Amino acid sequence: MSDLHEPVSEDAAARIIHTASIVPAPLVIRGGGTRSLVPNDEQHDVLSSARLSGIVSYNPAEMTMTAKSGTPLADILAVLSEKRQMLSFEPSDLRPVLGTTGTPTIGGVFATNASGPRRFIAGAARDNLLGVRFVNGSGEIVKAGGRVMKNVTGLDLAKVLAGSRGSLAFLTEVTFRLLPVPETSATIVISGLDDAQATAAMATALSMSVEVSGAAHLPETVRGHFIDGALPAQPATVLRLEGLSASVAVRSEKLQAAMAAFGLVSTLDPGMTDRLWGEIRDVRPYADQTERPLWRVSVAPTAGHQLVAALRLETGVDAFYDWQGGLVWLRMEADAEAGLLRHFVKAVGGGHATLIRAPAAMLAATPILQPEPDAVAALSARIKAKFDPKGIFRSGQVG
Amino acid sequence: MPDKIAFLPPKKSVLDRRDIIVADLSDLLPKGCLVSEPRGLVPFETDAFIAYRNVPLAVALPETTAQVAAILKYCSRYDIPVVPRGAGTSLSGGAIPQSDAVVIGLSKLSRILDVDYANRTATVQAGVTNLNISEAVSADGYFYAPDPSSQLACTIGGNIGMNSGGAHCLKYGVTTNNLLGVKLVLFDGTIIDLGGKALDAPGLDLLGLVCGSEGQLGIVTEATVRLIAKPEGARPVLFGFQSSEEAGSCVAEIIGTGIIPVAIEFMDKPAIEICEAFAHAGYPMDVEALLIVEVEGSEAEMDAMLASIIAIAGRHGVSTIRESQSANEAALIWKGRKSAFGATGRIADYICMDGTVPLSQLSYVLRKTGEIVARHGLRVANVFHAGDGNMHPLILYNINDPEDAARAEEAGNEILKLCVDAGGCLTGEHGVGIEKRDLMLHQFAQVDLDQQMTVRAAFDPHWIMNPSKVFPLEGRPAA
Amino acid sequence: MQTTFTAAQLADPHVAESEAILRKCVHCGFCTATCPTYVTLGNELDSPRGRIYLIKDMLENGRAADEEVVTHIDRCLSCLACTTTCPSGVDYMHLIDHARIHIEETYRRPLKDRLVRAVLAAVLPYPSRFRLAMRAARLGKPLAGALKRIPFLKTFGVMLDLAPPSAAPASDSTRPGKRPAKTEKRGRVALLTGCAQPVLKPGINEATIRLLTRLGIEVEVSAGEGCCGALVHHMGREEQALVSARRNVDVWTRAIDDGGLDAIVITASGCGTTIKDYGHMLRLDPLYAEKAARVSALAKDVTEYLATLDLPRLEPKRVSVAYHSACSMQHGQKITMAPKLLLKAAGFTVRDPAEGHLCCGSAGTYNILQPEISATLKARKVKNIEATKADIIATGNIGCITQIATGTAIPILHTVELLDWAYGGEKPEGISALS
Repeated sequence: MSDLHEPVSEDAAARIIHTASIVPAPLVIRGGGTRSLVPNDEQHDVLSSARLSGIVSYNPAEMTMTAKSGTPLADILAVLSEKRQMLSFEPSDLRPVLGTTGTPTIGGVFATNASGPRRFIAGAARDNLLGVRFVNGSGEIVKAGGRVMKNVTGLDLAKVLAGSRGSLAFLTEVTFRLLPVPETSATIVISGLDDAQATAAMATALSMSVEVSGAAHLPETVRGHFIDGALPAQPATVLRLEGLSASVAVRSEKLQAAMAAFGLVSTLDPGMTDRLWGEIRDVRPYADQTERPLWRVSVAPTAGHQLVAALRLETGVDAFYDWQGGLVWLRMEADAEAGLLRHFVKAVGGGHATLIRAPAAMLAATPILQPEPDAVAALSARIKAKFDPKGIFRSGQVG
Repeated sequence: MPDKIAFLPPKKSVLDRRDIIVADLSDLLPKGCLVSEPRGLVPFETDAFIAYRNVPLAVALPETTAQVAAILKYCSRYDIPVVPRGAGTSLSGGAIPQSDAVVIGLSKLSRILDVDYANRTATVQAGVTNLNISEAVSADGYFYAPDPSSQLACTIGGNIGMNSGGAHCLKYGVTTNNLLGVKLVLFDGTIIDLGGKALDAPGLDLLGLVCGSEGQLGIVTEATVRLIAKPEGARPVLFGFQSSEEAGSCVAEIIGTGIIPVAIEFMDKPAIEICEAFAHAGYPMDVEALLIVEVEGSEAEMDAMLASIIAIAGRHGVSTIRESQSANEAALIWKGRKSAFGATGRIADYICMDGTVPLSQLSYVLRKTGEIVARHGLRVANVFHAGDGNMHPLILYNINDPEDAARAEEAGNEILKLCVDAGGCLTGEHGVGIEKRDLMLHQFAQVDLDQQMTVRAAFDPHWIMNPSKVFPLEGRPAA
Repeated sequence: MQTTFTAAQLADPHVAESEAILRKCVHCGFCTATCPTYVTLGNELDSPRGRIYLIKDMLENGRAADEEVVTHIDRCLSCLACTTTCPSGVDYMHLIDHARIHIEETYRRPLKDRLVRAVLAAVLPYPSRFRLAMRAARLGKPLAGALKRIPFLKTFGVMLDLAPPSAAPASDSTRPGKRPAKTEKRGRVALLTGCAQPVLKPGINEATIRLLTRLGIEVEVSAGEGCCGALVHHMGREEQALVSARRNVDVWTRAIDDGGLDAIVITASGCGTTIKDYGHMLRLDPLYAEKAARVSALAKDVTEYLATLDLPRLEPKRVSVAYHSACSMQHGQKITMAPKLLLKAAGFTVRDPAEGHLCCGSAGTYNILQPEISATLKARKVKNIEATKADIIATGNIGCITQIATGTAIPILHTVELLDWAYGGEKPEGISALS
């Protein structure tokens, strides 16, 4: 039976890890436990950040916040919304898709580099992480980065910790950048485009001086799952504009005029915009209470639809696109088809496919992360050894 | 008086084999790509941080990634230090060689390899200048966002090494936020590709580590960067104040209100005079401090944003407001600002500081900076990126007077410590280099640096890559 | 930057001046970006910053020039793009002038180089010799290919290549004397005849005289004037250059004393840069310093002078002109707008080629002495010009005209030839197809 460690201080966490490193005894790092990719079958001890909670400092005028890693994301969002500020990278909540419970934590957000629709233009979680405190695998408390917007003092360890999924260190505190909530936002819908046409439309939109901050394509198979079926009939290509009201109005007109060349253009009820993009972020159509294999695939924006088209000839898949087509959410009908998928990812110019969900046996049998070239994998292994010399951190259970 | 910053002592084993090394390197490179004559090596002894100099062992100017790999493989085999060099514009001495080092200059790798508008990316060789990228895509309505003031000359390889920023980073982020991929040659000549047109690889973010690693993790030979569609319009506006404090508090309120212009630049009176003398940009000369605030977007958007900013400036005692009336005027305003450091050469030698502080501390740090410099009997000009608190006090001195130079260095150290103590950092965008290396322990504990150094060693186990920089010589892991 | 000259060294006014120039450089590196040789070769030693360092090292150590230093100084085009770029105001022009004199004084070039340079210095500045050489070259042209294959004679082959198919007979425009204003007189100028230009393209000064006299300007060609000295000056042959300078200063001083001059008008911007520098070149000569300064102050490029005459604005023509700014025009004399504004006012559509700051590779005798780099720069320049799809190329320097003409089929003319045509003169030769 595994033990659950819930240290209440950084020092306590350091002691636990130090002890584990001497044994050495494996530890599984956990935030809110919302994004488990690999089950803890071997019953390792769990080190949780749940009780390392609380906002350490928040200075709205500086647009930065420091919080302990176990602080629930919801608490942070609530405090931010009072000051009309936000996390620009729109961290996703995959609980409905994964069928997990638990409380998303800010540490988990950064440890998984969880980023939503604005990512392709405003950066990922890692781009907004200014500084961290962490305990490494030897039980040492280390800080990296800082609390100011610009900082190139030494190696940017915060970057490599972002998205490291608890494989390198136990995050205890994060400092991150905030942005003001846009005064208004609007969504333009182009209806009736196939995937290739939608890709062309989105590329055109992004080439214009209108600052599109969301570009997704929702084929007919998924369209009805969004905002209770309120999107107009036919596949929907959706584009988001944000900013000052006067400006959004002008940009919206300009964008609608340009998009009319591609298909039927309409605008979304303003009250629906936030909800729609929230559902795109959280992969709503595939929160289907199944365990059907779900992939998150990142490729060049123009390659997304090519990948899907190639796969369709070989196997049953359903898909929709975010990030101008570069982020493809793929649900397989039966088998995960990792080999086939990765073959086609390579064929369309490269990228990476991450298996997000699948039945336990399939998860165990499939390399869930894109395999890295040997030289890169060797380098990553050397880095991991520098953070965690005894190899006690077992990755894969962060959230 | 501070001691001069020490470089690692040259390895006798390397110096003794100089002729053999030069002969071997010349076998690895085409004709005209190796500098080894003593006279020819002298011009490579420093970069834009001219207070420190070392003539290198040799300078290699490879034309291909394969040649870079061959040189690194050779140097790592014989334990020869390597110092990468882009355009040699570093203000922190990042490209200053050491006397037993082979400089690897990337200036011949200057081709733009691929421009992909549909995916908004450009892939370029490391020696392409920052401005070349924007110029290559400008006619088609795009630009590359990070714009260090030296963008005319500095290379993308150097930008990646220092994670360079610039005036317009307030809105668009610094190099790391605009870098999608690199081709990297590791210490032993292994060539790896990191990142690419697909975002957010799930493994460790090695690209994020490499960006800003000051040439210590490998040598970048190609980079894929993000292009952005140019805004519909952009308008820099000059706001003059009768005190630096007023200007500083105005900046804090603009940002605090949730308005984020593309750029907010600050100049004090000495800086205004220096820049005007070169650029004739029409800066107001009857003010103590000047903000250049640039807004962009549609006319409606710019008007709305400006109205809010003007209202805020009014509350902070603004005495002059001048909008640029034409693209030419706007260009001159930026030309003056971006030439500020070089133009300072008209009146004195200088050391350029790069500390970043929280915005609420801006006025305080400005005042204390003035006091520190005055106490050392020197003058200072301030010109910097106010919107993100990235300060550039230019300490003016006479480099031919050793005492003056020592005072300048001492004042600089005090200013950087002040920045750290105010909650900021030693360097916002210029990098640690040699200049700030021995101040690292003011910002970090030894355990913090130990972690950075162990990661560094994962890339370069024998510390041959730019080894005199970034980390204090004391407290390094035993070789 | 830091310098370590001794007091004894600084007693030499030339060294003192170079020291002051060096002290202004802060090594920022901006100059590298706009230097044609750095952009072409990618070696800092072939950039202004690298050369400044080489010069500093040589002068500080009081050392004779050596092959390494000479190689990189010789590659400098003296285009002075770096001085336009330099924010610190480093006077690179006078620094490299000093270095070239130092090289000429302390370095013995290989025999072939000495021969080539002696021939150039003995022929180019003298129109009669140059004309003879051109005729000989026409006969020799078929030999160019063969010569270029023999390393020792390669440079002579290049010279033959550059020689135009025909050398014009002596033009009336070079005859000394006054050309009265043809309308109400409103000014009086001296016009530099110079050396190579009237042999290669006498039409330029002929057009200048026609245009100016029509505009009410009396034009004098002063007896005794000759080559401005730029060609030998750039080879570091300072005494020979100063002889030319003093002769011209004397000639124009007489013209000033005899009826006054509003300007000394120059139609080759390379010469203009040098004549504007006479005051500096002769500053240490007590007999000439003041007179030379006066001459330099009167020296004006023809477009600079025309801009003061308020020419009427003409109806737009359907003729597009790619304006190529000579380095000596834009960097040497910092004249950038006047020629384009004049062309626009005269009804031409003016187009700016990309990379306008880069040299075409002509640079006086550079295309003869450094043919490879020169050819690369010419190709780059022509590509940028042709991308404008203009009907005509206009420029203000004979060197550029000769250089660019060998690389493109687009006709290239001096700015003043187009202005003369627009304001009532003959249509220049070579553009008959245009309306």
